Amino acid sequence: MKVVTGVVGNDIHVVANRLIDISLAERGFEVFNLGVNTYLEEFLDAVIETDADVLLISSLNGEAEGWCRDLQILKSQYNFRDNVIFMIGGNLVVGETTAEEIVPRFKSYGFDLVFHQVDLNEGLDQLELFLKASK
Amino acid sequence: MTLLQREREIIVRNEYIDHFDFDEVKEFISGASKNLFISHRFKNSKEILVQPRGGFPTYDKVFELYKEFKDANVDVLPLTIDSNTRLNDYATAKKMLSLSEANDTDMLNGYPLVNHGYRTTRKMITHYDTPVSLRHGTPDARLLIEVALASGIFEIEGGPITYLLPYSKNFPMDKAFLYWKYVERVCAEYSKLNEPINRESFGPLSATLQPPAIVIVIQLLEMLLSLEEGVKSFSVSFSQTGSMLQDIVSSNVIKKLARHYADKFGHDDATINLVYHQWMGAFPYNREYSDSLINTSTVIASMIGADKIITKTRNEAFGIPTKEANALAVANVKYTLGMLKGLPKVGDEEEEENLTNEVHEILEAVFNDGADTLWRQVFNSIKNGYIDIPFSPHIINANKVITVRDKNSNIRFFKRGSVPISDKSFAFEKSKISLKDGDRVVDKIIQDIGIML
Repeated sequence: MKVVTGVVGNDIHVVANRLIDISLAERGFEVFNLGVNTYLEEFLDAVIETDADVLLISSLNGEAEGWCRDLQILKSQYNFRDNVIFMIGGNLVVGETTAEEIVPRFKSYGFDLVFHQVDLNEGLDQLELFLKASK
Repeated sequence: MTLLQREREIIVRNEYIDHFDFDEVKEFISGASKNLFISHRFKNSKEILVQPRGGFPTYDKVFELYKEFKDANVDVLPLTIDSNTRLNDYATAKKMLSLSEANDTDMLNGYPLVNHGYRTTRKMITHYDTPVSLRHGTPDARLLIEVALASGIFEIEGGPITYLLPYSKNFPMDKAFLYWKYVERVCAEYSKLNEPINRESFGPLSATLQPPAIVIVIQLLEMLLSLEEGVKSFSVSFSQTGSMLQDIVSSNVIKKLARHYADKFGHDDATINLVYHQWMGAFPYNREYSDSLINTSTVIASMIGADKIITKTRNEAFGIPTKEANALAVANVKYTLGMLKGLPKVGDEEEEENLTNEVHEILEAVFNDGADTLWRQVFNSIKNGYIDIPFSPHIINANKVITVRDKNSNIRFFKRGSVPISDKSFAFEKSKISLKDGDRVVDKIIQDIGIML
């Protein structure tokens, strides 16, 4: 299983990005880490280039929405193969908003899995369950 | 006119600064008070110099901050530069400075020195007649250090590696090496006029589980890159590791090897100083625990015979401290240091031998690189992962090294990546790590990062 990951937008929080990289590798994924400060188009290019199964975008500084709301539109311009999973996690908005409000919003942008302020291991467990279920 | 001087003329011809008068600056530095030179303080003081961190957008607020620090008996004043200036964006810095001045709010996270200019800033520096240290994080600091030195700031922090790997994703590293070569040369030239300008490297790096061997290698390389351009006073530094033993071992090894390599490369006339940073990782959300952490690191600074300590405050977890809280931290550290005189020298032979071997092994690989200059050898060594720091955002960093803490909180190599330490050295590191069956490394890392929380 190949995963493209990185931190979206002008966000340079590198510690969590490295931890995601290490965790995915530990769970047996082949990881393509684009690092911090990565734009949505760069992620999508990388998914095509690596023929990835999963795109895992992370964000900590609360600016994810502005950088990701065009995912649905961009998706239609790329020729993705079937069953690429789009996942986003981290601290997704500025200020206090509940996950109940955020998750549907990000799903409408084109994400299959959305995790707002969820523990890293919990999020990756969910990803693995989702992968098993969609097989 | 030398090639360097021609480059300098071009650098200072910038729409954001007033006319730069090289002759006047030269005259100012030649006649400047010895008290402005930290290199002079190092030479004439046996005590640990205390330096806080700090900087505000406006002249008036920095002036007040310095007054507060002076009342707390500070030894070295800091001047922290704002993030726009660090990226050479003087237009934004100018706009934010005028907003800060008009509305009495801080729209910048530091002092936009280039926009203020040297004629203004020099008034403040000479008024306090105390050494000032320039803290920034700039890959292209050419204009910034011209203005700083002209202002009377005679210590410049940073370097091509330590101000790049932890601070930038894709600033080209070869450019950083060349821009810093300019900085070293200008510092070297001014060093001939009065007391030497002191250069200081930034040892904390990304401040997250940094292996001492890599930290020391980078410190020694930046030292050599600086000395080879003619700098005569240099400070190597590192930050509190989280293990007192490892701090002591690191200090003994870095002191010994800095002198060894400086002499080996023909710089036996250069003075090398040691700077210790109080804990640079995440602080507890508890002011009493923070006080305890700060006191402990002050004790360690004394144990290791540091020449300077850079302080934190009890408000670290809550954002930029007020000038009062910052000055209080200085006063407390000075108070604690008063109790710590004439401490015995301690060490650990086995640990020191292993760390010494690791540093020699990595440096041997760097010096064996086929490139024709030291900076190219270092550049290649970073590119091919001989030098690899955990938790760097920069694309050139290999990111293959993984470190964890042992049961005594020492930072150990768990995976060495392409870092050329010997099998024997690596086996020593691995022998100290105890991971229980079923323990996930990543959980251990998360726990080890948050050791002080």
